[in-house]
Amino acid sequence: MQVLDDLWIRIAVWFRGLLESFLPPWAVQLTMDVLGILLLIVLGIVVVLAFTYMERKVIARVGDRIGPNRAGPFGIFQAIADAIKMLTKEDVTPTNADRWLFLAAPIVVIIPAVLLYAVLPLGRGMVGVDLNIAVVFVVAMGGIPILTMLMAGWASNNKYALLGAFRTVAQLISYEVPMVVALLTVVLLAGTMSTVGIVEAQASFPFALVTPVAFVVYMLAGLAELNRTPFDLLEADSEIVAGYFIEYSGMKFAMFFLAEYINLFMVAGMITTLFLAGWQWPILPSWLWFLIKVVLVIFLMMWIRATFPRFRIDQMLGFAWKALVPLSLINLFLVALVAKVLEPGWVRTGVLFVSNLALLAGAIAIMAQVARKREERARAAGEAAIKRYYGSEVR
Amino acid sequence: MLKTETITINMGPQHPSTHGVFRMVLTLNGETIVDLKPMFGYLHRGLEKTSESRTYLQAVPFTDRLDYICSMSNNFAYAVAVEKLAGIEVPLRAEYIRVIMAELTRLVNHMLAVGFLFNDLGAWYTPVVYAFRERERILDLFEMASGSRMMCNYIRPGGVAADLPAEFLPQLRKMIPHLENFVREIRFYLSDNEIFKARAVGVGFLPADMAVAYSITGPVLRASGVKYDVRKAEPYSIYDQFDFDVPTQVAGDVYARYLQRLDEMDESLKILRQAVERIPEGEYATKVPSRLRPPKGEAYARIEAPKGELGFYLVSDGSPNPYRWRNRPPSLINLSALREMCLGHKVADVVTILGSIDITLADVDR
Amino acid sequence: MYGKGIVKGLWVTLKHIWGTYAKDIKRFPRRYAPGGIAKRTDYDLYGLFTLQYPEERYEMFPRFRGALMHLRNPETGEPNCTACGACERACPHGVISLEGEGKGKDRKVTAYRYDLGRCIFCRLCVESCNFNAIELSREYELSRYKKDFILELDDLLKIGDKYGIHKTGEAWGVTE
Repeated sequence: MQVLDDLWIRIAVWFRGLLESFLPPWAVQLTMDVLGILLLIVLGIVVVLAFTYMERKVIARVGDRIGPNRAGPFGIFQAIADAIKMLTKEDVTPTNADRWLFLAAPIVVIIPAVLLYAVLPLGRGMVGVDLNIAVVFVVAMGGIPILTMLMAGWASNNKYALLGAFRTVAQLISYEVPMVVALLTVVLLAGTMSTVGIVEAQASFPFALVTPVAFVVYMLAGLAELNRTPFDLLEADSEIVAGYFIEYSGMKFAMFFLAEYINLFMVAGMITTLFLAGWQWPILPSWLWFLIKVVLVIFLMMWIRATFPRFRIDQMLGFAWKALVPLSLINLFLVALVAKVLEPGWVRTGVLFVSNLALLAGAIAIMAQVARKREERARAAGEAAIKRYYGSEVR
Repeated sequence: MLKTETITINMGPQHPSTHGVFRMVLTLNGETIVDLKPMFGYLHRGLEKTSESRTYLQAVPFTDRLDYICSMSNNFAYAVAVEKLAGIEVPLRAEYIRVIMAELTRLVNHMLAVGFLFNDLGAWYTPVVYAFRERERILDLFEMASGSRMMCNYIRPGGVAADLPAEFLPQLRKMIPHLENFVREIRFYLSDNEIFKARAVGVGFLPADMAVAYSITGPVLRASGVKYDVRKAEPYSIYDQFDFDVPTQVAGDVYARYLQRLDEMDESLKILRQAVERIPEGEYATKVPSRLRPPKGEAYARIEAPKGELGFYLVSDGSPNPYRWRNRPPSLINLSALREMCLGHKVADVVTILGSIDITLADVDR
Repeated sequence: MYGKGIVKGLWVTLKHIWGTYAKDIKRFPRRYAPGGIAKRTDYDLYGLFTLQYPEERYEMFPRFRGALMHLRNPETGEPNCTACGACERACPHGVISLEGEGKGKDRKVTAYRYDLGRCIFCRLCVESCNFNAIELSREYELSRYKKDFILELDDLLKIGDKYGIHKTGEAWGVTE
């Protein structure tokens, strides 16, 4: 077990030893760093190939279909075929587009996505850089795609793209807030901002159990950050056609696509790291645990995507500001209070868990009340109209 | 003080969710609809004029292409009109076959309406695929009876094109409980969905009095609370012999229209059960000459098509070709209230409301 | 309970995911329907529904309306068609045009042009035919690489020979 657990680290150590036998120390360091960066980038691309395939399969299976099954056994080369198609397609730049911005956007969008991988602890001792402010780094890097989406939407000189860009800015900035507050809750509990530290702090209880509210909030905000159903109105196909990347084709479109799936892995990885104890948990090797949890989280996201319709932009912003932000803020205060009063252990976890569930139930009750009011209003309007038409009574 | 500008967006004619080549000129303030101007005619094929230079029988396949989702009801309406014009009696078995086909068509249409409504709402993949799955099973029955899935050309003046094949009724008997299961599953899956409710409740409100003023018919009218159904108001064929209700809703919004369609599917299944039980043996058609020469005169016949009241107005001058061939397409007339329903809502709602009206562009433009 | 609808929705889709895999496992080693002919209806809400088209297809119903074909007289092997022109008149789209020679009983068809590209497969031509000369075949893979959609008499007879029938409307229960 130990061997498997340390597999990748042992390989790295062996390779470093190999290099040290004939290279000066600075060259060894340089080679290892460059190799690490390359590995993370390759991981990003492999992740895209794997998860596009998985997404197609999951959505197909939900719809009683088989999904891709032509390219290779079980269609596993479908993603590669797609990539080839993308690469060989005509690359159109609209005449009236803001040329430089238009060309820059797909490149800029992919950089932060790949950079984020640096702080993701993929297993015990397997992390690009163990930044002590990794959480801040994640938030900061997560802000850049907003800019690129606005760039893409504006530069396309297309009204749908512009609407998509408006929506992007409104949505992503709104959902940054509950996301950061939920992150803060976790930081408070873990007492560190380093992702590795946060994983290690979950040795006894994953934070999803300690503060379910933060977990739910982060999950929803993550879905919104990823533009996935039910928050996919940045690219709402049935409304604004494709949103900010409507004018992009060929490889430039593929860049957005790549960034989307790289981000998907990243957000799922962050959820795993922050709330599901990352690579912790016994028996299986750490990196395998991490992978299993990430895949499960991504499966949940795909499942949700295959099942639900999407929100409307105003409802979505309302949901962020009226539901998620207050909820996560209250939760932050609660966690701060309890963490100050009680020592870590069973009691604290129990108190936090129960109080969080109560908080969640309260929030749901309030939302149910609002929904019921809406229904009653709609019904009353209908009844009034029927009365107007039929005279006195409703038939 | 901030100054805002409205932008004008051409939604369509190429747009994924305008259900065809429909164009809406939207004036937006941010995302709020300030004005909406529907434009159509991109699919105009001149079916009415073309049919005037064909015989009465030759026009039957053209009616398939009016509303390609419910070709059987279109055939039915046209056949009823021609029979009224020429005074043709229809055998009882043919009437039963017609009712079975018309109700199956209603099921097909309402399935697709619900499925595509969810497509427009952003649940792209699943509800519409389930709807298509069941539709395909019904279309198999159509193909078995008429030889074609969509362009059935089956219900003719005087009866139907051919008797039902032997395996049709047993197959249908097996299918009815399955379809009931399907409707139950759709209810379970979608009716309580909070996201759907948030999108649909109170959106696209059409008051009952306004609906009548716009002469809206079909599920859209009944969802606004007006209990009007041609099958009950002016029974044609043998609908007066069946026991069924006309469900209505109160709220008149997108959600009410969705519920209305599901309720109507239940009623259709009820009619189907009775029809399958009671269908008599006998002739399937009275002999009608292929170059039918109806006496001079005019006739208007209407049926309750799945989308609303579908009428045909025929004028005969005694020749084999109709002098005037006019149809009242439910889609076009239901579409007329689109602007009233959309004003003040968001861009995303336009698509939803359009989906809830349930139009077929071939029916709008003819 | 608010949120119930969400859970119900997820439950339904999960059952569908499971249903497709269950059906997959049931027919595990085999990928396509035996003999390439898929069964039509199996009234089940769950499980795979799609047809893997080129490898497997549905058997068309006997009434299926495909491309037009000409039938032969079983004894002489000559086309049944007498070039009476009823189909030409019955066609709503002017798809058919024909020529014939001879008078009365000896009248024979010499040329028959059928425009597949404009045909709407309504079967009015067959219904008008009194000589068991034409019928709609069950051919449905009718796309072409070139625009040679006009089928001559020989092509139509060739399709007819494939089916080996000599009477119109057998599947429709209206043979005369």
